Amino acid sequence: MQRFLSFFLIFISALAAEAKVRVVTTLSDLADLTRQIGGDRVQVDFIVRGNQNPHFVEVKPSYMMKLKSADIFFMIGMELERWAPQIIDGSRNPKLLVVDLSKNMQKLEVPGRLDASQGDVHRFGNPHYWLDARNVRLMMEDMIMAMIKVSPNDEQYFRANANAYLSRLDAKIAEWEATMKPFVGSRVITFHKSWSYFANWLGLVVAGQVEPKPGIPPSPSHTAELISLVRNGNFKAIIVEPFYDASAAEQIARSASAKVIRLTTSVGGVDAAKDYMAMMDYNIATLAATLR
Amino acid sequence: MQAYLKIFRMGWLAIVLLTNIGLAQTTVNPDISVIPRFLIETNDSERADGKRKFSRPDYSFEELEVVIQSYLNPFAKADVILTLPGPDLETGKLGVEELFASVVRGLPLGLNVRFGKYRVDYGKFNLMHPHAWPFVTQPLSQERFLGEEGLNDLGLSASILLPTGNVYTKLTADLLRGAAIAEAAGIEDTTGGQPSYANSARLSSFFTLSDYSDLEVGLSGFTGLHDPYRRDRFYYANVDFKYKYRPSSYTSLTLQGEYLFNTRKARQDRDLNPFLDASGNPEQRTIHSSGLYLYADYQFKKIYSFGGRYDWSQTPYSKDDKAQAFAVFFGYYPVEETLGLRLHYQHTKNDLPTGSESVNLIALQTLFSLGPHKAHVF
Repeated sequence: MQRFLSFFLIFISALAAEAKVRVVTTLSDLADLTRQIGGDRVQVDFIVRGNQNPHFVEVKPSYMMKLKSADIFFMIGMELERWAPQIIDGSRNPKLLVVDLSKNMQKLEVPGRLDASQGDVHRFGNPHYWLDARNVRLMMEDMIMAMIKVSPNDEQYFRANANAYLSRLDAKIAEWEATMKPFVGSRVITFHKSWSYFANWLGLVVAGQVEPKPGIPPSPSHTAELISLVRNGNFKAIIVEPFYDASAAEQIARSASAKVIRLTTSVGGVDAAKDYMAMMDYNIATLAATLR
Repeated sequence: MQAYLKIFRMGWLAIVLLTNIGLAQTTVNPDISVIPRFLIETNDSERADGKRKFSRPDYSFEELEVVIQSYLNPFAKADVILTLPGPDLETGKLGVEELFASVVRGLPLGLNVRFGKYRVDYGKFNLMHPHAWPFVTQPLSQERFLGEEGLNDLGLSASILLPTGNVYTKLTADLLRGAAIAEAAGIEDTTGGQPSYANSARLSSFFTLSDYSDLEVGLSGFTGLHDPYRRDRFYYANVDFKYKYRPSSYTSLTLQGEYLFNTRKARQDRDLNPFLDASGNPEQRTIHSSGLYLYADYQFKKIYSFGGRYDWSQTPYSKDDKAQAFAVFFGYYPVEETLGLRLHYQHTKNDLPTGSESVNLIALQTLFSLGPHKAHVF
């Protein structure tokens, strides 16, 4: 009997040790950061593919199923994922820990006045903060706290992984900043206001958007204004995410010496963006090559 | 209205009891959206000298929906949908289309409970509000068997997710007052002096076929008393599917269809004319009839869509009263769903025992959506 009990306890302990923290994230970038922290002790899934616009995601029951068995749901917040509450409710998971990673962020472009005439403006500010690599440290801190809450015994493991990753990231940040140093003050045009944090970090000037207002499709008059701006200024790059139609941007680029480049806001947006660091490597190398 | 208020008060009390939450005052306003629809339409139902002649296009107000939605507390949400039906914009009365609370957390087994007045989770089309239809007119089978307002009733609904692995499978059951049957059944007083409850249930499964395509299939049933005086009952069975292929943010193809089968014993038709046998004596008949629709909607370049729909339907009281229709439609949505324009052409042919007649309809619908109306679930 004693032998059986011992075996049973060892079996239960082994099961507990094997139990992974189940995490679902909205963006593929967050899934990558979760893997970096959790290693083989997390099971990670995400909702939005890298080549998909995170603002507009259809509310599918399959996403609810992903959250149904999850322990933690990481989201960017600041109303980037306006579709998320319906998925959370639909999951019927009362134990789900929902973590909004924006709460400690230094927010840019918080609107003073807010109505639909401004376009699809986010009332809490521009939510694309993960494109400033320096913000990853803050995001990871909140992620670690949530993961420890679910699996307290793994605290040291999570922290060691995160510290190792952040050390590598710091080295990469120094490398990316050095690559972009010659282009500080360069003026670029972006399709959507996705690159404000990225530009703020690397000293770029975003002089205009192909969208006349956030979320509003390009109009002929606005495109004409941008053509005039590009012709009279020294613009080399028009940045377009993989999921936007680049025809208006191409039209602007053709009128001057600018070039349309596809930079990705998320892991998986282009083939080279296998993880967050690879995504930044790709974005910065592509941009630097264009600005050169 | 008194009845709705009573239901709402009872609902609020139930929420408090269920969730053990006090009546804390919230300072957060609910989401409020206003969605009106306008219509320019012409048809050739009238004949001049035996020839088809389209009527003078009439510009009318079709309907206004006011949608108010919010969480009541961490466990429950409430939805209020008020409608002002057209065409009388100035003197028409705002009515309650839906008024319900949903408990979405805190109940065992992931049970969700809804109570109040609501569109019943029956079939796929019934939950779609007219502003979300890709076309202008209601499918014939939906109109004939469920009425113009669809299956929308006072009731209590419970739903659970079944343990089917990674496949989302939902089972919903409803106990309804039975008032929604009135329009389709041609009986104004459905109570017959005593309660005339109806029951509905739906089982649906959602399959992810690939990163870009999904399929939902559903099976529904609905039963109630269509003649409360004689306690005669009807049974509806319904199968539905929706397939969507979305290879990019700018393009999608939606295919959706439903087949409804009706069976009932009846002694009179929809207009309350008694059924008579060959000798002219009243008789009871067993009626089997059905209806279906199938549509395809192709979205291209993000702001445009076009599609086609086929309808075929008998009526709840006669399999000889048949109609079929073919429609083509085009949609233009310049800025997401805030503004919309739909052009719709439909040819409808009615086959009655006394003969056939057909009509062509051309309609241009415009609508706008003011406010943060939530995205519709797949």
